[in-house]
Amino acid sequence: MTPDKSLAKKFQSMECFDKGIENSYQLLPSRFVSLSENRYLLTNEVGEYLIVSKKQLHGYVKKTLSKSSEFYFDLKSKHFLFDDDSNVAIQLLGLKYRTKAQKISQFTALHIFVVSLRCDYSCKYCQVSRQTDDKVTFDMSKETANRSLDFVFKSPSPAIKIEFQGGEPLLNFEIIKYIVLSATELNKHHQKNLQFVITTNLTFLNTDILSFCLIHNIYLSTSLDGSEELHNKNRPRPGKNGYQLTVKGIKEAQLYLGFDKVGALMTTTENSLDCVKEIINEYLALDMHCIFLRPLSPYGFAIKNKQTDKYNLQRWFEFYTEGLEYIIDLNKKGYFFTEIYTQIILSKIFSPFGTSYVDLQSPTGAGISAIVYNYNGDVYASDEARMLAEMGDSHFRLGNVHHSSYPDVMLSDVLLDTLEYSLAESSPMCHECGFLPYCGTDPVYHYATQHDVVGHKAVSGFCNKNMKIFRYIFSLLERDEVTKNILLSWVRP
Amino acid sequence: MIQIPNTIVFDNKVFSLDTIKGALYKFADNCSFDISCSNEIITVTIHSVDENQNLIARIRNEVIDQDLRSIIAKETSNVRTLILANAFSNTGLIES
Repeated sequence: MTPDKSLAKKFQSMECFDKGIENSYQLLPSRFVSLSENRYLLTNEVGEYLIVSKKQLHGYVKKTLSKSSEFYFDLKSKHFLFDDDSNVAIQLLGLKYRTKAQKISQFTALHIFVVSLRCDYSCKYCQVSRQTDDKVTFDMSKETANRSLDFVFKSPSPAIKIEFQGGEPLLNFEIIKYIVLSATELNKHHQKNLQFVITTNLTFLNTDILSFCLIHNIYLSTSLDGSEELHNKNRPRPGKNGYQLTVKGIKEAQLYLGFDKVGALMTTTENSLDCVKEIINEYLALDMHCIFLRPLSPYGFAIKNKQTDKYNLQRWFEFYTEGLEYIIDLNKKGYFFTEIYTQIILSKIFSPFGTSYVDLQSPTGAGISAIVYNYNGDVYASDEARMLAEMGDSHFRLGNVHHSSYPDVMLSDVLLDTLEYSLAESSPMCHECGFLPYCGTDPVYHYATQHDVVGHKAVSGFCNKNMKIFRYIFSLLERDEVTKNILLSWVRP
Repeated sequence: MIQIPNTIVFDNKVFSLDTIKGALYKFADNCSFDISCSNEIITVTIHSVDENQNLIARIRNEVIDQDLRSIIAKETSNVRTLILANAFSNTGLIES
Protein backbone atom coordinates (compact mmCIF):
# COMPACT_ATOMS: atom_id res chain seq x y z
CA MET A 1 0.00 0.00 0.00
CA THR A 2 1.33 3.41 -0.94
CA PRO A 3 1.59 5.86 1.97
CA ASP A 4 -0.83 8.76 1.85
CA LYS A 5 1.55 11.66 1.23
CA SER A 6 -0.99 14.32 2.11
CA LEU A 7 -1.47 12.70 5.54
CA ALA A 8 2.28 12.51 6.04
CA LYS A 9 2.45 16.25 5.56
CA LYS A 10 -0.01 16.79 8.39
CA PHE A 11 1.49 14.37 10.89
CA GLN A 12 5.21 14.29 11.54
CA SER A 13 6.92 11.04 12.48
CA MET A 14 7.72 10.23 16.14
CA GLU A 15 11.43 10.69 15.41
CA CYS A 16 10.69 14.26 14.40
CA PHE A 17 9.27 15.01 17.85
CA ASP A 18 12.35 13.49 19.44
CA LYS A 19 14.66 15.81 17.47
CA GLY A 20 16.55 18.21 19.61
CA ILE A 21 15.72 16.29 22.75
CA GLU A 22 19.37 16.38 23.74
CA ASN A 23 19.84 19.08 26.34
CA SER A 24 16.11 19.73 26.41
CA TYR A 25 15.82 18.57 30.00
CA GLN A 26 17.72 19.53 33.09
CA LEU A 27 19.04 17.23 35.74
CA LEU A 28 17.77 17.60 39.29
CA PRO A 29 20.12 16.77 42.19
CA SER A 30 20.72 13.04 42.34
CA ARG A 31 23.30 10.48 43.42
CA PHE A 32 23.94 6.89 42.46
CA VAL A 33 25.64 3.81 43.84
CA SER A 34 26.25 0.42 42.29
CA LEU A 35 24.12 -2.48 43.53
CA SER A 36 25.86 -5.04 41.32
CA GLU A 37 27.88 -4.99 38.10
CA ASN A 38 25.20 -3.55 35.84
CA ARG A 39 22.63 -2.30 38.35
CA TYR A 40 22.72 1.11 39.92
CA LEU A 41 20.55 2.71 42.55
CA LEU A 42 19.70 6.26 41.54
CA THR A 43 18.30 8.44 44.33
CA ASN A 44 17.28 12.06 44.60
CA GLU A 45 17.40 14.49 47.51
CA VAL A 46 14.17 13.19 49.04
CA GLY A 47 14.98 9.49 48.72
CA GLU A 48 12.89 8.59 45.69
CA TYR A 49 14.72 5.92 43.77
CA LEU A 50 15.06 4.03 40.52
CA ILE A 51 17.13 0.93 39.85
CA VAL A 52 18.79 1.45 36.49
CA SER A 53 21.28 -0.17 34.14
CA LYS A 54 24.65 1.39 33.35
CA LYS A 55 23.32 2.30 29.88
CA GLN A 56 20.27 4.03 31.35
CA LEU A 57 22.42 5.89 33.87
CA HIS A 58 24.74 7.18 31.15
CA GLY A 59 21.78 8.12 28.96
CA TYR A 60 20.23 10.08 31.83
CA VAL A 61 23.42 11.99 32.70
CA LYS A 62 24.48 12.59 29.10
CA LYS A 63 20.94 13.61 28.11
CA THR A 64 20.61 11.17 25.24
CA LEU A 65 17.27 9.71 26.35
CA SER A 66 14.24 9.65 24.13
CA LYS A 67 11.57 11.90 25.53
CA SER A 68 8.95 9.31 24.67
CA SER A 69 10.64 6.43 26.50
CA GLU A 70 9.14 4.88 29.62
CA PHE A 71 12.41 5.48 31.45
CA TYR A 72 12.21 9.20 30.69
CA PHE A 73 8.74 9.34 32.25
CA ASP A 74 9.96 7.43 35.29
CA LEU A 75 12.78 9.94 35.77
CA LYS A 76 10.44 12.84 35.26
CA SER A 77 7.72 11.57 37.62
CA LYS A 78 10.26 10.87 40.36
CA HIS A 79 11.92 14.26 40.06
CA PHE A 80 15.27 13.26 38.61
CA LEU A 81 14.84 15.75 35.79
CA PHE A 82 12.57 18.48 34.61
CA ASP A 83 11.72 19.90 31.22
CA ASP A 84 9.54 22.63 29.78
CA ASP A 85 6.39 20.66 30.63
CA SER A 86 7.33 20.03 34.25
CA ASN A 87 9.21 22.94 35.74
CA VAL A 88 6.89 22.73 38.75
CA ALA A 89 9.12 19.77 39.71
CA ILE A 90 11.51 22.03 41.61
CA GLN A 91 8.73 23.37 43.82
CA LEU A 92 7.41 19.85 44.44
CA LEU A 93 10.88 18.62 45.30
CA GLY A 94 11.33 21.50 47.74
CA LEU A 95 8.01 20.68 49.39
CA LYS A 96 8.97 17.02 49.76
CA TYR A 97 12.36 17.97 51.18
CA ARG A 98 10.74 20.24 53.78
CA THR A 99 8.40 17.40 54.79
CA LYS A 100 11.35 15.03 55.22
CA ALA A 101 13.36 17.56 57.19
CA GLN A 102 10.49 18.63 59.44
CA LYS A 103 11.33 16.21 62.26
CA ILE A 104 14.84 17.65 62.55
CA SER A 105 13.46 21.14 63.13
CA GLN A 106 11.17 19.85 65.87
CA PHE A 107 14.36 19.40 67.88
CA THR A 108 15.06 17.18 70.88
CA ALA A 109 12.25 14.68 71.44
CA LEU A 110 14.06 11.90 73.32
CA HIS A 111 15.35 12.76 76.79
CA ILE A 112 17.26 9.97 78.50
CA PHE A 113 17.53 10.09 82.29
CA VAL A 114 20.25 7.85 83.72
CA VAL A 115 18.69 7.47 87.15
CA SER A 116 21.21 4.99 88.51
CA LEU A 117 24.43 3.33 87.41
CA ARG A 118 23.80 0.46 89.79
CA CYS A 119 22.92 -2.91 88.29
CA ASP A 120 22.38 -6.46 89.50
CA TYR A 121 23.73 -7.90 86.23
CA SER A 122 27.37 -8.19 85.14
CA CYS A 123 27.01 -8.55 81.35
CA LYS A 124 30.35 -8.84 79.56
CA TYR A 125 29.05 -6.77 76.67
CA CYS A 126 27.52 -4.04 78.84
CA GLN A 127 27.94 -0.76 76.98
CA VAL A 128 27.20 1.31 80.04
CA SER A 129 29.99 0.45 82.46
CA ARG A 130 27.73 -0.40 85.40
CA GLN A 131 28.52 0.01 89.07
CA THR A 132 27.89 -2.60 91.72
CA ASP A 133 24.45 -2.19 93.18
CA ASP A 134 25.35 -0.92 96.66
CA LYS A 135 26.66 2.51 95.71
CA VAL A 136 23.99 5.12 96.32
CA THR A 137 26.44 7.74 95.06
CA PHE A 138 25.55 6.60 91.52
CA ASP A 139 21.84 7.46 91.85
CA MET A 140 20.18 10.60 90.46
CA SER A 141 18.95 13.08 93.10
CA LYS A 142 15.72 15.11 93.07
CA GLU A 143 17.71 18.29 92.57
CA THR A 144 19.39 16.88 89.47
CA ALA A 145 16.04 15.57 88.24
CA ASN A 146 14.44 19.01 88.64
CA ARG A 147 17.25 20.77 86.78
CA SER A 148 17.10 18.15 84.02
CA LEU A 149 13.33 18.59 83.67
CA ASP A 150 13.89 22.33 83.19
CA PHE A 151 16.02 21.40 80.17
CA VAL A 152 13.46 18.89 78.87
CA PHE A 153 10.68 21.43 78.64
CA LYS A 154 12.88 24.01 76.93
CA SER A 155 12.91 21.79 73.84
CA PRO A 156 10.43 23.05 71.21
CA SER A 157 9.52 19.48 70.26
CA PRO A 158 5.74 18.91 70.40
CA ALA A 159 6.43 15.31 71.45
CA ILE A 160 8.63 14.51 74.44
CA LYS A 161 9.71 11.01 75.36
CA ILE A 162 11.45 10.57 78.71
CA GLU A 163 13.38 7.32 78.83
CA PHE A 164 14.77 5.99 82.11
CA GLN A 165 18.01 4.11 81.80
CA GLY A 166 20.79 2.77 83.96
CA GLY A 167 22.46 0.64 85.23
CA GLU A 168 19.14 -0.77 86.27
CA PRO A 169 16.73 2.15 86.66
CA LEU A 170 14.24 0.26 88.83
CA LEU A 171 16.91 0.25 91.56
CA ASN A 172 16.06 3.94 91.89
CA PHE A 173 12.32 3.71 91.27
CA GLU A 174 11.60 6.50 93.77
CA ILE A 175 13.26 9.05 91.46
CA ILE A 176 11.41 7.62 88.44
CA LYS A 177 8.12 8.19 90.25
CA TYR A 178 9.22 11.70 91.18
CA ILE A 179 10.22 12.56 87.61
CA VAL A 180 7.03 11.11 86.08
CA LEU A 181 4.81 13.03 88.51
CA SER A 182 6.81 16.26 88.14
CA ALA A 183 6.91 16.04 84.34
CA THR A 184 3.17 15.32 84.19
CA GLU A 185 2.53 18.37 86.37
CA LEU A 186 4.81 20.59 84.29
CA ASN A 187 3.14 19.32 81.14
CA LYS A 188 -0.22 20.72 82.21
CA HIS A 189 1.29 24.03 81.21
CA HIS A 190 3.43 22.89 78.25
CA GLN A 191 0.81 20.56 76.68
CA LYS A 192 3.33 18.29 74.96
CA ASN A 193 2.65 14.77 73.78
CA LEU A 194 4.48 13.25 76.76
CA GLN A 195 5.58 9.61 76.92
CA PHE A 196 7.64 7.59 79.39
CA VAL A 197 9.73 4.47 78.85
CA ILE A 198 11.68 2.47 81.42
CA THR A 199 14.55 0.44 80.00
CA THR A 200 14.82 -2.32 82.57
CA ASN A 201 15.97 -5.90 83.08
CA LEU A 202 12.66 -6.44 84.96
CA THR A 203 14.34 -8.08 87.98
CA PHE A 204 12.76 -5.65 90.43
CA LEU A 205 9.35 -5.42 88.74
CA ASN A 206 6.45 -5.74 91.19
CA THR A 207 2.77 -4.92 91.29
CA ASP A 208 3.36 -1.46 92.77
CA ILE A 209 5.62 -0.58 89.85
CA LEU A 210 3.21 -2.13 87.33
CA SER A 211 0.31 -0.16 88.84
CA PHE A 212 2.27 3.06 88.54
CA CYS A 213 3.18 2.22 84.94
CA LEU A 214 -0.46 1.48 84.13
CA ILE A 215 -1.72 4.76 85.62
CA HIS A 216 0.92 6.84 83.84
CA ASN A 217 0.94 4.95 80.56
CA ILE A 218 4.60 3.98 80.91
CA TYR A 219 6.21 1.63 78.39
CA LEU A 220 8.73 -1.01 79.41
CA SER A 221 11.69 -1.97 77.26
CA THR A 222 13.81 -4.92 78.27
CA SER A 223 16.63 -7.14 77.01
CA LEU A 224 16.02 -10.69 75.82
CA ASP A 225 19.00 -12.26 74.10
CA GLY A 226 17.44 -15.62 73.21
CA SER A 227 17.08 -19.02 74.82
CA GLU A 228 17.60 -19.63 78.54
CA GLU A 229 21.12 -20.93 77.93
CA LEU A 230 22.14 -18.07 75.65
CA HIS A 231 20.50 -15.31 77.67
CA ASN A 232 22.02 -16.46 80.97
CA LYS A 233 25.42 -16.87 79.34
CA ASN A 234 25.30 -13.36 77.85
CA ARG A 235 23.69 -11.71 80.84
CA PRO A 236 24.97 -13.24 84.08
CA ARG A 237 23.52 -12.23 87.44
CA PRO A 238 23.65 -13.74 90.92
CA GLY A 239 21.40 -16.81 90.94
CA LYS A 240 21.98 -17.34 87.21
CA ASN A 241 18.27 -16.78 86.66
CA GLY A 242 18.21 -13.69 84.42
CA TYR A 243 16.23 -15.47 81.70
CA GLN A 244 13.59 -16.71 84.14
CA LEU A 245 13.17 -13.26 85.69
CA THR A 246 13.02 -11.52 82.31
CA VAL A 247 10.43 -13.87 80.81
CA LYS A 248 8.34 -13.73 83.99
CA GLY A 249 8.55 -9.92 83.92
CA ILE A 250 7.57 -9.73 80.25
CA LYS A 251 4.52 -11.95 80.81
CA GLU A 252 3.41 -9.97 83.86
CA ALA A 253 3.85 -6.67 82.04
CA GLN A 254 1.94 -7.96 79.02
CA LEU A 255 -0.98 -9.03 81.22
CA TYR A 256 -0.97 -5.93 83.40
CA LEU A 257 -0.14 -3.20 80.90
CA GLY A 258 -1.01 -4.75 77.54
CA PHE A 259 1.04 -6.48 74.86
CA ASP A 260 1.90 -3.22 73.13
CA LYS A 261 3.40 -1.72 76.30
CA VAL A 262 6.39 -4.02 76.61
CA GLY A 263 9.16 -4.56 74.09
CA ALA A 264 12.52 -6.29 74.09
CA LEU A 265 15.90 -5.83 72.45
CA MET A 266 18.66 -8.36 71.88
CA THR A 267 22.40 -7.95 71.57
CA THR A 268 24.42 -10.24 69.32
CA THR A 269 27.40 -11.94 70.93
CA GLU A 270 29.60 -14.65 69.45
CA ASN A 271 27.30 -17.16 71.21
CA SER A 272 24.28 -15.82 69.29
CA LEU A 273 25.71 -16.21 65.80
CA ASP A 274 24.59 -19.78 65.12
CA CYS A 275 21.11 -19.53 66.59
CA VAL A 276 19.24 -16.61 65.07
CA LYS A 277 16.10 -18.72 64.44
CA GLU A 278 16.04 -19.91 68.05
CA ILE A 279 16.40 -16.31 69.21
CA ILE A 280 13.47 -15.21 67.04
CA ASN A 281 11.43 -18.19 68.27
CA GLU A 282 11.85 -16.92 71.84
CA TYR A 283 10.17 -13.69 70.78
CA LEU A 284 7.41 -15.60 69.00
CA ALA A 285 6.78 -17.70 72.10
CA LEU A 286 6.20 -14.47 74.03
CA ASP A 287 3.72 -13.27 71.40
CA MET A 288 6.01 -10.42 70.36
CA HIS A 289 5.95 -9.03 66.86
CA CYS A 290 9.36 -7.48 66.38
CA ILE A 291 13.03 -7.98 67.11
CA PHE A 292 16.10 -5.76 66.75
CA LEU A 293 19.06 -7.83 65.57
CA ARG A 294 21.70 -5.53 67.06
CA PRO A 295 25.44 -5.98 66.74
CA LEU A 296 27.67 -5.07 69.67
CA SER A 297 28.60 -1.40 69.96
CA PRO A 298 32.19 -0.36 70.61
CA TYR A 299 31.66 1.10 74.08
CA GLY A 300 31.92 0.23 77.77
CA PHE A 301 32.56 -3.32 78.91
CA ALA A 302 32.10 -4.54 75.33
CA ILE A 303 35.49 -2.95 74.61
CA LYS A 304 37.09 -3.63 77.99
CA ASN A 305 36.25 -7.34 77.73
CA LYS A 306 37.20 -7.45 74.04
CA GLN A 307 33.68 -8.68 73.16
CA THR A 308 33.64 -6.65 69.95
CA ASP A 309 36.72 -8.52 68.70
CA LYS A 310 34.99 -11.88 68.83
CA TYR A 311 33.19 -11.64 65.52
CA ASN A 312 33.53 -9.47 62.47
CA LEU A 313 31.01 -7.48 60.52
CA GLN A 314 30.67 -10.11 57.79
CA ARG A 315 29.74 -12.78 60.35
CA TRP A 316 27.18 -10.48 61.96
CA PHE A 317 25.76 -9.67 58.50
CA GLU A 318 25.28 -13.39 57.80
CA PHE A 319 23.47 -13.66 61.15
CA TYR A 320 21.28 -10.68 60.23
CA THR A 321 20.38 -11.94 56.74
CA GLU A 322 19.60 -15.45 58.01
CA GLY A 323 17.33 -13.86 60.60
CA LEU A 324 15.65 -11.58 58.10
CA GLU A 325 14.96 -14.46 55.67
CA TYR A 326 13.36 -16.39 58.53
CA ILE A 327 11.26 -13.37 59.50
CA ILE A 328 10.07 -12.91 55.90
CA ASP A 329 9.03 -16.60 55.86
CA LEU A 330 7.09 -16.05 59.09
CA ASN A 331 5.25 -13.18 57.41
CA LYS A 332 4.52 -15.35 54.38
CA LYS A 333 2.90 -17.84 56.76
CA GLY A 334 0.67 -15.06 58.10
CA TYR A 335 2.47 -13.99 61.28
CA PHE A 336 3.24 -10.26 61.23
CA PHE A 337 6.75 -9.86 62.56
CA THR A 338 9.37 -7.20 61.79
CA GLU A 339 13.08 -6.62 62.21
CA ILE A 340 13.34 -3.14 63.62
CA TYR A 341 16.47 -1.85 61.86
CA THR A 342 15.15 -3.05 58.50
CA GLN A 343 11.81 -1.43 59.31
CA ILE A 344 13.54 1.91 60.06
CA ILE A 345 15.42 1.81 56.74
CA LEU A 346 12.28 0.84 54.80
CA SER A 347 10.46 3.74 56.42
CA LYS A 348 13.30 6.05 55.39
CA ILE A 349 12.99 4.76 51.81
CA PHE A 350 9.24 4.86 51.43
CA SER A 351 7.78 7.28 53.96
CA PRO A 352 7.49 10.93 52.94
CA PHE A 353 8.39 11.81 56.54
CA GLY A 354 11.79 11.46 58.14
CA THR A 355 12.25 8.93 60.93
CA SER A 356 13.20 9.88 64.46
CA TYR A 357 15.82 7.14 64.79
CA VAL A 358 18.80 9.13 66.04
CA ASP A 359 21.60 6.79 64.91
CA LEU A 360 20.66 7.08 61.24
CA GLN A 361 20.20 10.76 60.72
CA SER A 362 22.04 13.68 59.14
CA PRO A 363 22.62 16.00 60.87
CA THR A 364 23.36 13.58 63.66
CA GLY A 365 20.58 13.12 66.18
CA ALA A 366 23.09 13.66 68.99
CA GLY A 367 21.81 16.49 71.15
CA ILE A 368 19.21 17.77 68.71
CA SER A 369 17.06 14.61 68.58
CA ALA A 370 18.15 12.88 71.76
CA ILE A 371 19.99 14.04 74.85
CA VAL A 372 21.19 12.32 78.01
CA TYR A 373 21.07 13.58 81.60
CA ASN A 374 23.45 11.50 83.65
CA TYR A 375 22.84 10.62 87.32
CA ASN A 376 25.23 13.45 88.38
CA GLY A 377 23.75 16.11 86.09
CA ASP A 378 26.26 15.80 83.29
CA VAL A 379 24.62 16.29 79.89
CA TYR A 380 25.74 14.18 76.94
CA ALA A 381 24.96 14.37 73.24
CA SER A 382 23.83 10.74 73.13
CA ASP A 383 23.71 7.54 75.13
CA GLU A 384 26.87 6.37 73.35
CA ALA A 385 28.56 9.65 74.32
CA ARG A 386 27.74 8.88 77.93
CA MET A 387 29.15 5.37 77.52
CA LEU A 388 32.34 6.85 76.11
CA ALA A 389 32.58 9.17 79.12
CA GLU A 390 32.20 6.21 81.49
CA MET A 391 35.29 4.81 79.72
CA GLY A 392 37.17 8.01 80.59
CA ASP A 393 36.67 10.16 77.48
CA SER A 394 34.30 13.08 78.08
CA HIS A 395 34.64 14.59 74.61
CA PHE A 396 30.86 14.74 74.08
CA ARG A 397 29.99 16.09 77.53
CA LEU A 398 27.97 19.22 76.74
CA GLY A 399 27.72 20.61 80.26
CA ASN A 400 26.07 19.95 83.59
CA VAL A 401 22.50 20.85 84.50
CA HIS A 402 23.71 22.40 87.77
CA HIS A 403 26.27 24.71 86.22
CA SER A 404 25.21 25.23 82.59
CA SER A 405 22.22 26.96 81.04
CA TYR A 406 20.17 25.42 78.22
CA PRO A 407 21.78 27.73 75.59
CA ASP A 408 25.24 26.89 77.04
CA VAL A 409 24.55 23.22 76.32
CA MET A 410 22.75 23.44 73.00
CA LEU A 411 25.11 26.03 71.54
CA SER A 412 28.26 24.48 72.99
CA ASP A 413 31.21 24.32 70.61
CA VAL A 414 31.44 20.57 70.91
CA LEU A 415 27.81 20.08 69.83
CA LEU A 416 27.83 22.67 67.03
CA ASP A 417 31.18 21.46 65.69
CA THR A 418 30.04 17.84 65.82
CA LEU A 419 26.81 18.67 64.00
CA GLU A 420 28.54 20.68 61.32
CA TYR A 421 31.63 18.58 60.66
CA SER A 422 29.81 15.27 60.61
CA LEU A 423 27.04 16.22 58.17
CA ALA A 424 26.84 13.38 55.66
CA GLU A 425 25.97 15.92 52.97
CA SER A 426 29.47 17.35 53.28
CA SER A 427 31.56 14.29 54.23
CA PRO A 428 33.85 12.58 51.72
CA MET A 429 32.23 9.53 50.11
CA CYS A 430 28.89 10.19 51.87
CA HIS A 431 28.10 13.39 49.97
CA GLU A 432 28.01 11.54 46.64
CA CYS A 433 26.64 8.19 47.88
CA GLY A 434 23.32 6.98 46.47
CA PHE A 435 22.34 5.64 49.90
CA LEU A 436 22.70 9.06 51.55
CA PRO A 437 18.93 9.78 51.83
CA TYR A 438 18.50 6.59 53.87
CA CYS A 439 21.69 6.79 55.88
CA GLY A 440 23.07 9.16 58.46
CA THR A 441 26.14 10.02 60.35
CA ASP A 442 27.35 8.67 63.64
CA PRO A 443 30.03 11.01 65.02
CA VAL A 444 30.25 9.29 68.39
CA TYR A 445 30.87 5.90 66.75
CA HIS A 446 33.54 7.36 64.48
CA TYR A 447 35.14 9.24 67.34
CA ALA A 448 35.19 6.02 69.41
CA THR A 449 36.67 3.94 66.59
CA GLN A 450 38.82 6.47 64.67
CA HIS A 451 39.11 9.38 67.09
CA ASP A 452 37.51 11.61 64.50
CA VAL A 453 33.85 12.67 64.34
CA VAL A 454 33.75 12.42 60.54
CA GLY A 455 35.65 9.16 60.17
CA HIS A 456 37.20 7.73 57.04
CA LYS A 457 34.31 5.90 55.42
CA ALA A 458 36.49 3.46 53.49
CA VAL A 459 37.44 1.87 56.82
CA SER A 460 34.27 2.68 58.76
CA GLY A 461 32.32 -0.20 60.34
CA PHE A 462 29.24 2.05 60.38
CA CYS A 463 29.48 2.69 56.63
CA ASN A 464 30.38 -0.89 55.77
CA LYS A 465 27.47 -2.30 57.80
CA ASN A 466 24.90 0.08 56.41
CA MET A 467 26.04 -0.30 52.78
CA LYS A 468 25.69 -4.07 53.10
CA ILE A 469 22.23 -3.74 54.64
CA PHE A 470 21.02 -1.22 52.05
CA ARG A 471 22.18 -3.43 49.17
CA TYR A 472 20.51 -6.44 50.75
CA ILE A 473 17.22 -4.61 51.33
CA PHE A 474 17.10 -3.41 47.73
CA SER A 475 17.79 -6.95 46.52
CA LEU A 476 14.83 -8.12 48.65
CA LEU A 477 12.60 -5.40 47.21
CA GLU A 478 13.44 -6.69 43.73
CA ARG A 479 13.09 -10.38 44.59
CA ASP A 480 9.33 -10.89 44.07
CA GLU A 481 6.03 -9.10 44.66
CA VAL A 482 5.17 -11.11 47.80
CA THR A 483 8.45 -10.21 49.51
CA LYS A 484 8.16 -6.60 48.42
CA ASN A 485 4.61 -6.33 49.76
CA ILE A 486 5.66 -7.82 53.09
CA LEU A 487 8.45 -5.28 53.41
CA LEU A 488 6.15 -2.44 52.37
CA SER A 489 3.73 -3.48 55.13
CA TRP A 490 6.51 -2.69 57.65
CA VAL A 491 6.80 0.95 56.58
CA ARG A 492 5.73 3.45 59.22
CA PRO A 493 5.04 7.14 58.60
CA MET B 1 47.91 -8.66 45.47
CA ILE B 2 49.07 -5.24 44.29
CA GLN B 3 52.57 -5.09 42.86
CA ILE B 4 54.75 -2.27 44.25
CA PRO B 5 55.11 0.29 42.82
CA ASN B 6 52.21 0.48 40.46
CA THR B 7 51.14 3.60 38.60
CA ILE B 8 48.06 4.79 36.77
CA VAL B 9 48.20 7.76 34.44
CA PHE B 10 45.29 10.13 33.73
CA ASP B 11 44.91 12.93 31.25
CA ASN B 12 43.80 15.99 33.22
CA LYS B 13 41.73 17.18 30.25
CA VAL B 14 39.55 14.10 30.79
CA PHE B 15 39.50 13.73 34.58
CA SER B 16 39.98 16.46 37.14
CA LEU B 17 42.32 16.08 40.09
CA ASP B 18 39.34 16.29 42.48
CA THR B 19 37.59 13.45 40.66
CA ILE B 20 40.68 11.28 40.94
CA LYS B 21 41.14 12.06 44.64
CA GLY B 22 37.48 11.19 45.26
CA ALA B 23 37.91 7.84 43.51
CA LEU B 24 41.15 7.00 45.36
CA TYR B 25 39.54 7.79 48.71
CA LYS B 26 37.35 4.69 48.46
CA PHE B 27 40.35 2.37 48.28
CA ALA B 28 42.03 3.64 51.41
CA ASP B 29 41.28 0.40 53.27
CA ASN B 30 43.58 -1.49 50.87
CA CYS B 31 46.27 0.92 49.73
CA SER B 32 47.67 4.42 49.82
CA PHE B 33 48.59 6.75 46.99
CA ASP B 34 51.05 9.34 45.76
CA ILE B 35 49.63 11.80 43.25
CA SER B 36 51.72 13.98 40.98
CA CYS B 37 50.85 16.34 38.14
CA SER B 38 53.10 17.16 35.24
CA ASN B 39 52.01 18.99 32.10
CA GLU B 40 48.63 17.46 31.37
CA ILE B 41 49.32 14.15 33.04
CA ILE B 42 48.21 13.09 36.51
CA THR B 43 50.18 10.14 37.79
CA VAL B 44 48.92 8.02 40.67
CA THR B 45 51.39 5.68 42.34
CA ILE B 46 49.74 2.93 44.35
CA HIS B 47 51.32 1.53 47.50
CA SER B 48 49.95 -1.50 49.30
CA VAL B 49 49.35 -0.95 53.00
CA ASP B 50 52.39 -2.80 54.27
CA GLU B 51 52.87 -3.34 58.00
CA ASN B 52 56.27 -1.64 57.95
CA GLN B 53 54.96 1.35 56.06
CA ASN B 54 51.69 1.59 57.92
CA LEU B 55 52.29 5.08 59.25
CA ILE B 56 53.38 6.45 55.86
CA ALA B 57 50.33 4.88 54.22
CA ARG B 58 48.03 6.35 56.86
CA ILE B 59 49.53 9.81 56.37
CA ARG B 60 49.12 9.59 52.58
CA ASN B 61 45.47 8.61 52.98
CA GLU B 62 44.84 11.20 55.67
CA VAL B 63 46.15 13.94 53.37
CA ILE B 64 43.74 12.87 50.62
CA ASP B 65 40.95 12.70 53.21
CA GLN B 66 41.61 16.18 54.57
CA ASP B 67 42.01 17.59 51.08
CA LEU B 68 38.62 16.21 50.04
CA ARG B 69 36.99 17.47 53.23
CA SER B 70 38.28 20.94 52.50
CA ILE B 71 36.99 20.90 48.91
CA ILE B 72 33.58 19.53 49.92
CA ALA B 73 33.29 21.91 52.87
CA LYS B 74 33.73 24.86 50.51
CA GLU B 75 31.29 23.48 47.95
CA THR B 76 28.61 22.61 50.51
CA SER B 77 28.95 25.63 52.76
CA ASN B 78 25.49 26.98 51.90
CA VAL B 79 23.83 23.59 52.19
CA ARG B 80 25.37 23.08 55.64
CA THR B 81 24.18 26.45 56.83
CA LEU B 82 20.65 25.77 55.58
CA ILE B 83 20.46 22.30 57.14
CA LEU B 84 21.70 23.50 60.52
CA ALA B 85 19.49 26.59 60.40
CA ASN B 86 16.51 24.29 59.81
CA ALA B 87 17.56 22.09 62.75
CA PHE B 88 17.65 25.04 65.15
CA SER B 89 14.79 27.01 63.57
CA ASN B 90 12.26 26.41 66.36
CA THR B 91 14.57 26.67 69.36
CA GLY B 92 14.74 30.43 69.70
CA LEU B 93 18.49 29.98 70.21
CA ILE B 94 19.63 31.50 66.93
CA GLU B 95 18.95 34.82 65.29
CA SER B 96 16.56 34.60 62.36
